[in-house]
Amino acid sequence: MFSTPKPTSNLVRPDFDKFLDYSKIFFDRHQYTDDGVMVNQLEQRLAAFHQTTFCVAFCSGFWTLALGITALARPGKSEIVMPSFTYRRMADIAAWTRLKPHFCDVEEDTLANSAATVRPCINDNTALILGVHPIVKFCDIDGMVDLAREKNIPLLFDSVESVYESYAGRRIGSFGAAEIFSLGASKLVNGFEGGYLTTNDAQLAERLSRLRNFGFDRQGHIAVHGGLNAKLNEMHAAMALAGLDDLEDQVERNRERYLTYKRLLAPLKGIRLYEFDESQKPGYKNIVIETLEDWPLSRADTVSILNAEMVLARAYYTPPLHRKRIAYPHVPAELPVTDRLAERFILPPCGHLVSNADIADIVELMSFIAANASAVKAHLQQQAELSA
Amino acid sequence: MSTSGFALFGANPVFDKPLPFGQLYFSSWERYQESFRGIFERQYYTEYGPLNQQIEQKLQQFLGVKHAICVTNETIGLMMVASAMGLKGKVILPAFAFIGSAQSLSWAGLEPVFCDVDPDSHQIDINQLAELVDKDVSAIMGVHLLGGACDPQALAKIAEAHGVQLYFDAAHAFGCAVDGVQIGNFGRAEVFSFHQDNILNATEGGCICTNDDDLAARLRTMRSSAGAGKPVEVTKTVNGRMSEAQCAVALMSLKDFPKNRQNNQNLHKIYEAQLAAIPGLQLVKPSGASVSNHQNVVCRVDESKFGISRDLLVELLEAENVNVRRYTHPGLHRSIPYVHELPQYLERLPNTDALSSSCIQLPIGALVTAQSVARICEILNRAHFAAKDIRAKHMSIATQTN
Repeated sequence: MFSTPKPTSNLVRPDFDKFLDYSKIFFDRHQYTDDGVMVNQLEQRLAAFHQTTFCVAFCSGFWTLALGITALARPGKSEIVMPSFTYRRMADIAAWTRLKPHFCDVEEDTLANSAATVRPCINDNTALILGVHPIVKFCDIDGMVDLAREKNIPLLFDSVESVYESYAGRRIGSFGAAEIFSLGASKLVNGFEGGYLTTNDAQLAERLSRLRNFGFDRQGHIAVHGGLNAKLNEMHAAMALAGLDDLEDQVERNRERYLTYKRLLAPLKGIRLYEFDESQKPGYKNIVIETLEDWPLSRADTVSILNAEMVLARAYYTPPLHRKRIAYPHVPAELPVTDRLAERFILPPCGHLVSNADIADIVELMSFIAANASAVKAHLQQQAELSA
Repeated sequence: MSTSGFALFGANPVFDKPLPFGQLYFSSWERYQESFRGIFERQYYTEYGPLNQQIEQKLQQFLGVKHAICVTNETIGLMMVASAMGLKGKVILPAFAFIGSAQSLSWAGLEPVFCDVDPDSHQIDINQLAELVDKDVSAIMGVHLLGGACDPQALAKIAEAHGVQLYFDAAHAFGCAVDGVQIGNFGRAEVFSFHQDNILNATEGGCICTNDDDLAARLRTMRSSAGAGKPVEVTKTVNGRMSEAQCAVALMSLKDFPKNRQNNQNLHKIYEAQLAAIPGLQLVKPSGASVSNHQNVVCRVDESKFGISRDLLVELLEAENVNVRRYTHPGLHRSIPYVHELPQYLERLPNTDALSSSCIQLPIGALVTAQSVARICEILNRAHFAAKDIRAKHMSIATQTN
């Protein structure tokens, strides 16, 4: 159907001249990394945006989370409680910090972990609770904050998918001990690659700004152990700054795409749009749809047919982490809700490279698949037999 | 000679603004704009994009190596190599090296074994190395220092004799060669740094080189970059990607490499000529490499002949707006956390201790001119002749402050 792929990655392009204006600042200073002026400016902008006192930037969301875990985990404890129905590399991040992932289930109505799903996983070995916001709406913020306080266990939020959102009158960023975000090209703010952590804890921010730079303090001495190189470079910071300048407009564009999907999917039987809660001021970056009982094809078949037409729809967090082969220590888990949900959701194309006209074509394709389900299934069956 | 001419004691600094330390080679503004316009047009920002593919091909050609795998930075590259090689237990490396080398082992769940270095070449002490290999050691990490090389053939013999693996931290060694073989081809893998302080600058960045197809496939899968070959089984992945922005800058830097190396060599020669006339300062020449990139200027300060200590000389130069480094100070065995966790090395590494308390690294690179080298050497010369007074004045200020 399409000559160029229609991705689920945001790939938002900031204004080129703005990117150059920011670039010229570090270029003229001949400083391209190592706590440069662009990174400092970005950290200040992001702290203000998230209404926190501190923001520390890193080379990627992956290493932001790894160092956040390292800095917050209770010493001598071995497990991190995290959902299985989440980012495919989440358990690997824990493994790099040498903590065992202890997978918890998720709630049917949020697709995310909650105090109720985390509580049974807490034991004497728990080093940290990882609350992970899903792609649409929130995990149980209040419940997990209360649980973490009750058990005296640090709570870190992975808020990669909730950059723009607000909860209880505050923008996401200051809940729990800290929150982490990504500046990857597929995220709301595109910094090529990058990540950051927000917190109101001065000691934590200081420790993390050392950890990302091998543990060096301002005098050039190694002051903390557990460091590595996780510095954000100046070009990536310049890109993220240009992206922040465009953020309000981008959210408006994202909302238009969302509303187009909402309008066009409404008559399509067997597909339900997983709706944002407008009161949470969402960023509308990704679209999540659910295949219901009366959708005539399996989720896997639906995705593969779409992919063949260059519609790079993806199955939502599939397989869940507890179903993957894991070669490092972890706590085996039975997660019935996750297993059930993992078969149902699809991320259709979205972001900067997808127009409203593309969305109309994509929905039309899905309508065609539904209308011709029997023929499509027979064709797939034939293909499967041939390849067997 | 009086101390009044020194900025440390109130005079105007020799340099109006700080003279940066690193190599800091970067493209012109026009080329930067052009290159980034291309990225914005293609809208391909990371994940093994066209520039990533291009730089890896060009690096493979340039180095004569089968696989060049670009990574976020060198430390993450070393962590990936340790994990992809399946290392266990302990890994030997020189204590006279950058902290990131040891940290890469800690992050990979390995214990460093610190080896001393040769007092003249500053490279790993081959004799001690052979004695350190025991049943818990799974690998040796050679470190090429100062635009020179540790002896890769000798290390290979030791590794082979003991049945352990061998890989290299080649942060300082891009473009260097040993007997006609480019660094990048030794051991199972070598990892370069493309940090701004090194001759090939991607702002941050690095590259793992290997001639081992299986290891390369594991590293590409581990790095998590869509489209970089068929995924293979790995223990765990990372985000080890180098973005299109980093690749764009690295490509321009690679093109400029011959010119930048020549500039380094010219500056190095000026340092060599001028420092030879100052008693107590010994320029450490790149050793072990048949071709050097001349990216480091390291001097050993013999306090008894020069007149003031290395640490006081650092203060003196920084006051003159010359950014310098105490080269790998302290040794890895005296750095957190190893100083506490592995106290057995504290008395075992006399050469590392002596070098890390007596070496100073001077600026060389894009922002350093022949004239600035001459001015730095002039400060050093004056410092030598005023050494006695500088020591006395410094002591008296310290006493007053206390």
